[in-house]
Amino acid sequence: MKRSRSTALVLVLPWLLTLVVFWLFPLVVSFLMGFTDFRLLIKDYHWVGLANYRALFSDSDFLKALKNTFIFVLGTIPVTTVFSLGMALLVNHRFKGRGIFRAAYFLPSITSMVVIALIFTNLYQRGGYVALLSRLVGLQSPENGFLYDSSTALFSIMAMDVWMSVGYYMLIFLAGLKSIPDELYEAARIHGAGAIRQLFSITLPLLKPVMLFILVINSIKSFQVFVEIFVMTKGKFDTSTAVYFIYETGLTTGFKSGYASAAAYILFIIIALFSAMWFLLLRRRQALW
Amino acid sequence: MVKGWVFSALKYLLLIGLLAVMVFPLVWMFRVSLMSAGGSIDMKQIFNVDFTLTNYRDLFAAHNMGRYLFNSLFVGVTVTVGNILFCFMVAYALARYRYLCNKLLFVSVILVLMIPAHILIIPLYVLMVKSGIYDTYWALILPWLVNPIGIFLVKQYIESIPPSMEEAARLDGAGELRILLRIVMPLCKPALAVLAIQVFFTNWNSFLFPYILTSSDNVRTLPVGLALYQGYQAIDWQHLMAGSAIAVVPILILFIIMQRQIVSGITTGAIKQ
Amino acid sequence: MKRTIFFIATAVLLVGLNVSEATTIRWWQFWTDPSVKPEISEMVAEFEKANPDIKVELTDLTWANGHEKIAIAFASGTGPDVVELGSDWIAEFAANSHLADVSDHISHDSSHFQGWGMATYQGKVYAKPWILGTRVLFANRDLLTQAGYDSNWVPIKISELKVAAFKINNLGKDIYGWGSNTPEKHRLYKKYLPFFWSAGAQIFTDDNKYCILPSEKAIRALELYKELHDSCGYVANQRGIEDAFLDGKVGFIISGDWLLKRVELERRSINLVSTLIPGLDFPGKSFLGGEFLTVNEASAHKRAALKLVDFITSPENQLRFCKANRSANPSSIAIQDDSYFTSNVHLQTFIKQIRSAKHPPVDPDWVYMEDAIERAVEDALFGSGLVAEPLLQARQKIVELKQSK
Repeated sequence: MKRSRSTALVLVLPWLLTLVVFWLFPLVVSFLMGFTDFRLLIKDYHWVGLANYRALFSDSDFLKALKNTFIFVLGTIPVTTVFSLGMALLVNHRFKGRGIFRAAYFLPSITSMVVIALIFTNLYQRGGYVALLSRLVGLQSPENGFLYDSSTALFSIMAMDVWMSVGYYMLIFLAGLKSIPDELYEAARIHGAGAIRQLFSITLPLLKPVMLFILVINSIKSFQVFVEIFVMTKGKFDTSTAVYFIYETGLTTGFKSGYASAAAYILFIIIALFSAMWFLLLRRRQALW
Repeated sequence: MVKGWVFSALKYLLLIGLLAVMVFPLVWMFRVSLMSAGGSIDMKQIFNVDFTLTNYRDLFAAHNMGRYLFNSLFVGVTVTVGNILFCFMVAYALARYRYLCNKLLFVSVILVLMIPAHILIIPLYVLMVKSGIYDTYWALILPWLVNPIGIFLVKQYIESIPPSMEEAARLDGAGELRILLRIVMPLCKPALAVLAIQVFFTNWNSFLFPYILTSSDNVRTLPVGLALYQGYQAIDWQHLMAGSAIAVVPILILFIIMQRQIVSGITTGAIKQ
Repeated sequence: MKRTIFFIATAVLLVGLNVSEATTIRWWQFWTDPSVKPEISEMVAEFEKANPDIKVELTDLTWANGHEKIAIAFASGTGPDVVELGSDWIAEFAANSHLADVSDHISHDSSHFQGWGMATYQGKVYAKPWILGTRVLFANRDLLTQAGYDSNWVPIKISELKVAAFKINNLGKDIYGWGSNTPEKHRLYKKYLPFFWSAGAQIFTDDNKYCILPSEKAIRALELYKELHDSCGYVANQRGIEDAFLDGKVGFIISGDWLLKRVELERRSINLVSTLIPGLDFPGKSFLGGEFLTVNEASAHKRAALKLVDFITSPENQLRFCKANRSANPSSIAIQDDSYFTSNVHLQTFIKQIRSAKHPPVDPDWVYMEDAIERAVEDALFGSGLVAEPLLQARQKIVELKQSK
C-alpha cells in the first residue's frame, strides 16, 4: 500500500508541477498584480487597490476593444454554428466523393491562423479577389481595401474566422448526428413527418449536448481573438480586441503589467459568465423536453 | 423521378461550390508562392503556367526559414513526446489509483481546461523574464509539456481497459514500471496516437505564446517568423506565400496520413462531454 | 630542480593562455536585409582578424519588436556589449543608466562626425553616430509632365505641392496625387512632422517647459496634410505606397533612401525625381534620425566594445556600408563629399536635406510622446471631426506623462 502511494505521487508529479508552476502560481500573481501599478521595466511599484479596474472602465481604448470583442463573438458564433450544422446535414449520407468533400471542408481549420490571416490580407487588399467578387455582385468595395476601412475591417476578419472554423464544427456535428439512432427517423417517417419536421423534432433536440459543447468552445475561443488582429491590422481601423489590448498595454512600450492583468481578469470573468449562460440556456430546455 | 435528378444535381452544385470557397484561398497561396518575385500580383496571373521556386530558395538562403522550420520541429516533437509520456503517467494514476487526492486532481484537470489561456499572457511573460528563461527553448516547451486535454483523453481510454492483465502481472511479481511500459502503454496506442496528433498540430500552428515568450530569431518558430516577415523590406507577397506554404505542407501530409486519428480526436472529446 | 622548472613552465603556460584568451563581445544590430547583412558580417570578420583577442557575437534585431527586446534586456541585466539604437531611443536608455558615457572617448572625433545632438543627453555623449537618415520628397517625372509641368519643375512651397498633387490626381481613375500612410508604428508621425516643423510649429517651447503641440501652426499643418490625404491620397501602408509609386500610380511620396535601393534592386523603370520637402518658405524642415552605436554601461568589456564601435563607424567602413546599402547619409562628414554621393543626383538631395532636417526632442520619454503624436495624426486623418481635437488630446497625454515624473 505504501509503495503504491509513493508511485502514485511520482506518476502525478508532472501534472502537479505543471498545475502549480504554470497555472496556479501565474493565476495568483496576475490576480495580485491587477491591484498594483507594477510595470515590468520599473523597479518600484505600489498597491493601488481597485484603481486599475476603475481606470479601465473609463479607458476608451479598453471599452472599444471590449465592444469589438463582443461584436466578434456575437457575430461569428451564430453564423458558424448554423453554417457548420448545415454542412454537416449536407454531407451526412453516403454519396460519391463524400470523404474528399469532408476533408476539403475541414482543411482550413487545421491550418495555422497566421497563414490564413496572411492569405486573406492579400485577398482583402484593394484590387484583390474579394474586391473583384463584390464588384461582380454589384456591391461597392472600400477604396483602400477592406482592412483599411473602419466600417469593413472587423467584419472582414469575422468572415475569415467563420470560413476557417466551419469545417471543424461540421465534424463535431457529424459525430453528433451519427449518434442519433435511425429508428427514430424511421418512426417519424412512418407517422408522416417530412424532412423539416424531422429536423426540428428529432435532430435539433438530440443535438443539444453537442450544440452546447460547440457554443462553449467557440465562445471561449472567440473572446480571445488575437492572432488575426495582430497579423492583419494591428488593432487599427477599429479592430482592437480585448486580448490585443492586453498585449499592447502589457507587452509593448509601457509594459504596464498591473493594468493589463486587471484587464485580463475582467475578460476572464466575462468569458466565465458567458459560458455559464450557455449552460443555463441549454440545460434547462433539455429538462423541459 | 425528374425531381430526384434535379435535387441530386443541386446538391452536387452546392457541394462543389462550397469546396471551391473552402479550397480557393489555399490554392491561391500556392499559386502566388510560385510567381516570380518583385512585381505586384495580378489576379489574372492565377491562370499563368510559369512558375519558379526562387521564393522558397530565398527564404532558406537569406531569411532563416531553415532555422524556423527546425525550431518548430524541435519544439513540436519535444512537446509531443513529453505529452505522450507525462499524460500517460498521470492518466494511469488517476484511472487506477483510488485516493481522495486523485479525485481532487482530476477536478483540477477539468478546471484548468475551462480556464481561458489569455489569463497567462502577462504573468507568464513577467515570470519568465524575471527567471531568465524568457526567449529560450525552455519557454516554448516547459509550460506545454502536460496538456490537461491529454490527461482527460488517456484517462478515459485507460478506464475502458479491464485491469485484469495488470493484476495478473502484479501477482506474477512484475514491478510497477514494467507493468506501465510493457503492458498498459502498448494497449493505449490508439489514444496516445490521437493525443500525439492533437498536441503536435496545436503546437505547430500556435502563435500567441511562442510570439510573446520569445524575441530572438534563433528560437523563433515558423508561425512567428511568418508573421514577422511582413516587416522585412525584401519580403513581398510571393515570398510571404512561399513561407505560408512551407508551414502548411507538413500539416497537409500529416493530415492525409493520419486523417482517422485527427477526426477521432476531435469528435471523441466532443461526444464524451 | 625538476619541480621548479615544472612550476615555472606551468606559470608561463597559464600566463600565455590568458594573454591569448579571447574576449567575446555581443553586438545587437538591425541590418538584416540580405543586401546588406553580408557587409556587416564581413566587417565583423575583418575586425576579428585585426583584433585576434576579440570575438564578436552578432545578433539580429527587427524593427517590429527591437525596442521591446532591447528594453527587456537592459532591464533584466542581459543586454549586449554593443547595441545599435535608433536616434530617438538614446535618451530613454541613457536616462536609465544603461548606456556608457563616451564623452571623453569621442572628443577627438566630434568635428568629423555629424549627429552629436541626438547622442547627447544632459551634457554627456552616450552614442556614436553611424548612419543618419532623413526623408525627402519623391515624385514621378512622367506624371508631372502629363499634368502639364516643365521637365525641371519641382514644388518649392507646400501650396505648389498641393496644386501639383491635385492635378496629377485628376489624370485618371487609377492615378493618385499623394501617397498617404495608414497608421504604422514608428512611421506615420514621421510623415507629419516635416509639415509640422516646416510650418514653424514646435512640440515644446524653447526652454522645454511647455508642450505647445496644438499650436495654430501645428493645426494648420495637420489640416494641410489631411487635405492631401482626403482629396488625392493613395492610402496604404508604407510598402503599399511604395509599390504603387514604383508602379507609376502615385505622384508624390515622402520616403527615405531605401526607396533608391528598391529602384535599383528591382530594376524599376520609374522616372524618379527627388527634392527637398517643401515648406512655407523654402526649404522645409525634414525629419532627422539615424542609427547610433552605443556601449552597455554594464558591459565587462568596454574597451573591446569601443574598439568595435570605432571600427564600424570609421569613415572607410561607413563608405563601403553606404555603397552596399545604397544609403545616403553617412555620419562621417568627410565621406559625405565622396564621389559616390556627389555623382548621384538623388543621394545629393539627401545630403542637402540633412542640412535642413530637424530631430525630435532628446527626451527619455520620447517613445511615449511619439505614441501620442501618432495617435493624434491617426485620429485626425481617419476619424471624423476637427483636426485640433486629437492634437489637444495628445498634448494632454504628454502633459500627464511629464507630471507623473
